[in-house]
Amino acid sequence: MNLHIMNGAIIRANIIWANIIVSIKSFYREKTVVFFRLAFPVILILVFGTIFMERDNEIFELSIQDLNRTPSSEKLVEAIRLSKRFKMTPVPPAADAKQYAKANKRNLIVIIPKDFEMSLMQKMGSNDFDTAVSLTQLYDPGSFGVTTKIGVLDMVLAGINQEMSGKPPLIVPEPVSVLKKKYRFIEFFVPGVIAMAVMTASLFGAVNVNAELLQKGVIRKLCTTPITRMDWILSNVFYQFILAVLSTAVMLLVSYIVFNVNLEINAWLVVFVALDVFSFVGLGMILTRVAKEAESASAAADALMFPMMFLSGTFFPVEMMPEFLQKFARVLPLYYVNEGLRAAMVAADHMAALKCALFIGAFAAVVFVLGTMITTLGGETA
Amino acid sequence: MTLNSEYAIEVHNLTKRYKGLSAVDNISFTVKRGEVFALLGPNGAGKTTTVEIIDTIRKPTSGKVTLLGMDVTRKKYNIIPRIGVLPQGFSSFDRITVKETLQYYSRLFCCRKTDIDGLIAIVNLKDKVKVQYKNLSGGLKQRLGIAVALVNDPEIVFLDEPTTGLDPRARRAVWDVLLGLKKKGKTLFLTTHYMEEAELLADTVAIVKRGKITAMGSPGELIESNADYLVVMLKSVDENVFDMVRKMGFAPVYDSHGDIRVRLDRTDDVRRLLNAIEAGGASFTGLDVRKPNLEEVFLKLTDETLVEGSAGIKEAQ
Repeated sequence: MNLHIMNGAIIRANIIWANIIVSIKSFYREKTVVFFRLAFPVILILVFGTIFMERDNEIFELSIQDLNRTPSSEKLVEAIRLSKRFKMTPVPPAADAKQYAKANKRNLIVIIPKDFEMSLMQKMGSNDFDTAVSLTQLYDPGSFGVTTKIGVLDMVLAGINQEMSGKPPLIVPEPVSVLKKKYRFIEFFVPGVIAMAVMTASLFGAVNVNAELLQKGVIRKLCTTPITRMDWILSNVFYQFILAVLSTAVMLLVSYIVFNVNLEINAWLVVFVALDVFSFVGLGMILTRVAKEAESASAAADALMFPMMFLSGTFFPVEMMPEFLQKFARVLPLYYVNEGLRAAMVAADHMAALKCALFIGAFAAVVFVLGTMITTLGGETA
Repeated sequence: MTLNSEYAIEVHNLTKRYKGLSAVDNISFTVKRGEVFALLGPNGAGKTTTVEIIDTIRKPTSGKVTLLGMDVTRKKYNIIPRIGVLPQGFSSFDRITVKETLQYYSRLFCCRKTDIDGLIAIVNLKDKVKVQYKNLSGGLKQRLGIAVALVNDPEIVFLDEPTTGLDPRARRAVWDVLLGLKKKGKTLFLTTHYMEEAELLADTVAIVKRGKITAMGSPGELIESNADYLVVMLKSVDENVFDMVRKMGFAPVYDSHGDIRVRLDRTDDVRRLLNAIEAGGASFTGLDVRKPNLEEVFLKLTDETLVEGSAGIKEAQ
């Protein structure tokens, strides 16, 4: 009896292996597919990584028009420069600041008034708390990011004020991260891209390949061989898993080389990639069966994938969305892959990772069983 | 179970209905081991549905099909290793070469001893072993399909329209392969709408019309039992002969060469026809009086038009 079971398992493994070999050969002989499968997520990481790396260490351009031109005004300019948050551009005192801003596309010009030094001396010599030395900030409200720049400038000026007062600050904030180490946005972003890339490739891989083989009649031929529905789905899952591991390795490699990311690599990564593949290959099989035609199966996959991509927290945190969308996000399987991968790779929070793994694991099991039940090989149930 | 039955295939009262319409309507027949059996019928007659039920792709609505002594609906996975199938419109993985395709299907059957090179030689694809499937012509694809159907050294080979869509040269190449299999004593079950193919390959032909078998027997038997008329061919005829023959109450038709074909029910009619042409002052350069061929028998039995160019005759009014 045991020998019989073992023989059966060897036969099944042989069949699955034969399918995997054919799929991998078909994959690497289609150069454009190889490029898009491996390059697309890498391009995403490079583009978004570059944008967000800039933001983490952003140095703003700041135009300053010094109408006072005294040692005091020069000290102020120097103090702002020393904050290292701005690249300073002097505006000629004779220039009309508004015209200059428009002509040179400046969204913020700080104007030091003519009476700056005198006003400053008066203020320092008096005990009148209500008066202050004013500094004009000429800004373009239609410019994206100008409010952030003003906010940074205000912080720098607050520091200068504090120093000039000669008194230590009464309240000092001490930020403490919930994470063990300090992480940059790119380190939150990479796990999200891994989850999304694996989902997209698994879903479309299953839908496109199966719909095409069904339409061409290859599956009809397979129906006359010893292959079973379970063999076929498992072949698809293992093949997609191999590609997912390869693609994830490339994404991580690029992230390490280009952005020097600091992510935990542990067994959870493999678990979540595997569950991601199981879930979406299973879903792809169901769509192929329900839609039948290659085009409609592809459209149905699009309709499922796009909301998932944008609402599951791949590109931006779910907390940024309105409350009802946050609730919706929590029923999306990709949300748990995103959260699980971040819990494992960023926060090293194994309990949170386990919780997410249980959610996505349950989903994968349901979809896989359903996929196995309704998938057909040939014209009718196999 | 009748494992040692002399029959490779036994079909009893097979019916298949789709939404109330019968694609296959209560048909019965048997195929002996080593026999070449052809289901002959026009498009939509139910040939593919029948073969797909027998080779386990589809399930019947009612009736029983036994293959090598085993019920096809209950013993699918016992039957599959012992049969080979070339489905209609065979297709394979685009980027996989001829040799790799055969290796793949051989692995699916877990056949360690498949003689891949031998199969390639049988279908004459030696110089194409490294060519990817998508780069093969239609005829080569079909030949590869036949080789795929043989990877598990099957006892019965099913071929659903093996030469449809092929040019005459490619069709003959496929026929050569099938004749080779026949010589080896394989049981072949083929569907076709080409008379020449059935006549050349089949020991038994079953003519199917609207899901029913209307006649069955060897090509010779079918012709003999239905040859109750004569066919007269008049070659290089004068233009007025056609009208002249029609006025005599016959139904002449032009064939693709411009010759006139006339069906005559009695031998006397031949003399009457020739006398009338002579009396009318018309002439012709050639005359052929013969019994009907399988195609004409088929047309008589099915009242259908065959595919264009199947045996040189375009019309079947």
